Amino acid sequence: MLRASILRARPALRPIAPVASPQWRVAQRFYADEKKAGETALPGQATSVPNPASSTPPSSTIAPSDVPKTPPQPETGRSGPAVQPATTPPTGPGTASIAPDPQPAKPKKRRLRRFLYYLTILSALGYAGGVYYSLVSDNFHDFFTEYIPFAEDAVGYFEEREFRKRFPGRAGQPRLHPQVTGENKITIPSKSGITSKVAAEGGSDLAVKGPHVSALADNDKASPKEKAESPKETDAKPGAKKDTPAPTVPVVPATPATPIAPIDHLNVPAAGEPIVQDVVKIVNDIITAINADAAHENKYTSALEKAKSELGKVVTDINSLKDSLSKSAEDKIESAHSEFDAAAKELVRRWEVHMHDQETHWKEEFENERERLSKNYKDKLRAELDATHQLYEQRVKNELLQQSISLQDSFTSSVRDRVEAERDGRLGRLNELSSSVQELEKLTAEWNSVIEANLKTQHLIVAVEAVKSSLENQTAPRPFISELAALKEIAVDSPVVSAAIASINPVAYQRGIPTSGQLIDRFRRVAQEVRKAALLPEDAGVASHIASVAMSKVLFKKSGLAVGQDVEAILARTEVLLEEGELDAAAREMNGLQGWAKVLSKDWLSETRRVLEVRQALDVITTEARLQSLLVG
Amino acid sequence: MADESPKPSAAISRTTRPMSEALLNEKWDRCLSSMLIRSGLGLSFGVVFSVLLFKRRAWPAFVGLGFGAGRAWEECDSSFKRAASPPKDGLRVIRP
Repeated sequence: MLRASILRARPALRPIAPVASPQWRVAQRFYADEKKAGETALPGQATSVPNPASSTPPSSTIAPSDVPKTPPQPETGRSGPAVQPATTPPTGPGTASIAPDPQPAKPKKRRLRRFLYYLTILSALGYAGGVYYSLVSDNFHDFFTEYIPFAEDAVGYFEEREFRKRFPGRAGQPRLHPQVTGENKITIPSKSGITSKVAAEGGSDLAVKGPHVSALADNDKASPKEKAESPKETDAKPGAKKDTPAPTVPVVPATPATPIAPIDHLNVPAAGEPIVQDVVKIVNDIITAINADAAHENKYTSALEKAKSELGKVVTDINSLKDSLSKSAEDKIESAHSEFDAAAKELVRRWEVHMHDQETHWKEEFENERERLSKNYKDKLRAELDATHQLYEQRVKNELLQQSISLQDSFTSSVRDRVEAERDGRLGRLNELSSSVQELEKLTAEWNSVIEANLKTQHLIVAVEAVKSSLENQTAPRPFISELAALKEIAVDSPVVSAAIASINPVAYQRGIPTSGQLIDRFRRVAQEVRKAALLPEDAGVASHIASVAMSKVLFKKSGLAVGQDVEAILARTEVLLEEGELDAAAREMNGLQGWAKVLSKDWLSETRRVLEVRQALDVITTEARLQSLLVG
Repeated sequence: MADESPKPSAAISRTTRPMSEALLNEKWDRCLSSMLIRSGLGLSFGVVFSVLLFKRRAWPAFVGLGFGAGRAWEECDSSFKRAASPPKDGLRVIRP
């Protein structure tokens, strides 16, 4: 196959070769091709159909080489055999030999081309389908993107488109992860990261004080400025005092300091005045300041000397002024003293006259006043007396009134008491009446309950009687369930009755119980059978049964209260007891049977027991009813 | 409701369980019927054999009758013996 394709491909590549090739070579190739044509019959047929359609383009391309060789023949031959091989492959070997010659050359080309064409179409379709289905199904999406090359890109492109369609606002940025599109690379410089380097001694020594140790350093930085400012301010004061002394200081300090200071001290005691002292103090300060300044020269010594002499002059002036002033003041004081004495004498005299006048005047006024006051007092006394008298009278009257009121009160209270007492007596009687009425009511209520209880017991007795009568008057066993239900309904609250009813076998009231006559009748039948089986041994076979039946015929029957534990005696006793009506004893006798006899009499016995149960229960209920009626009474 | 329930139960009990005094009689009935049938079968077989094989001798017929009767007897006997003691169906019997 591979070789064939190569063979085909070679002439396709070299279109001139077949033209130049001789006939034998063509025939040779024909053999090889025929074999392959037989193998590839189907593709040949399939491709033969598009041949006519695609025949023109190749002919146009290959025209320059081919046309001169077989101008008319191949066209006719082509149109003929192109259709023929589809229907009848072996037609005309002559034509076939010529026809394949041009055909294999072109189909070889075309086949590859077609193969590629189909391959691309198929792959495109496959990709398209795969992409579409992967968009639909997640599972397939995973498979497709993982195993098919370029499928991820394709699917990603379509997803991107869909995403952009849905969110047009975010059209610019890709939705897929940067892994798909390629991440933004971050280049790490070669010197980055940790390196083995000795820490810098100066720069990064943590032991050294710095901002990382304490934040106070900033404050310190700020404070020096302030300090720097404050000294200036402090300097400004001395500077103002001795702007000039600063440069002259250096000469003076040693010499003038000693002569100047004692002179000042001498000045101080001379001037006792505080103002003078202050001035001296100021000067002294200045001098000490100058002395302290080492830089000052003896420039100021002369000025200071002058100032000192001036100061001494001022002090002496002040002293002289003081003396003159004190003298004049003394003179003035003396004259004032004399004037004052004269004035004082005059004043004393005038005062005495005045006082005398006033005394006389006041005496008169005093007399008048005293008379007026005494008169006033007398009037007032009289008025008071009258008032007290009136008050007394009034009080007496009030007391009288009070007494009368209290008397009236006591009277009304006594009357009320009497009335109350009277009323209480009547009310007491009324209470007695009402209590007696209540007692009566209670009594009637009790009687009502008694009557109710009586009715209940009566109902109970009636129901019991109904049950009993229904049991006695029956001719055949009849269910008495309705009667029993009525009985139970009446005596719902009585536990004794319900217990008695519960003790009855359900079969008894559902199916009814036989009367005593029926019981006796059945006993006779049972007795016959029992008698037949009376002589059976323990494990009896047929022979013993036959024997027993036969022998029972000839046995003597016992009658009356026979003595003994044999079957015949038991049967006789039971019969007697039944005839006497003692069901209980009869059942007990029959219960004493053994073996086959017991088996045969089992049904009768159970029936008898049921009857006994019912009778007992009814007895209990009647007793209960009677007891209740007695209790009520 | 109370009236309805007892009737079917009574009917069922009457059909399923005979009255206790009739137990023996019933057994006798069965025994006799089986005796008749089995002895009749044995007799007929004996007659056939005697005709076919024994040149019409009488004894094969009697032998057949005896076989049938014996089988019936044995069955009857066992039924009587079983009935005397309480039934042990469903009980495990431990033999010494």
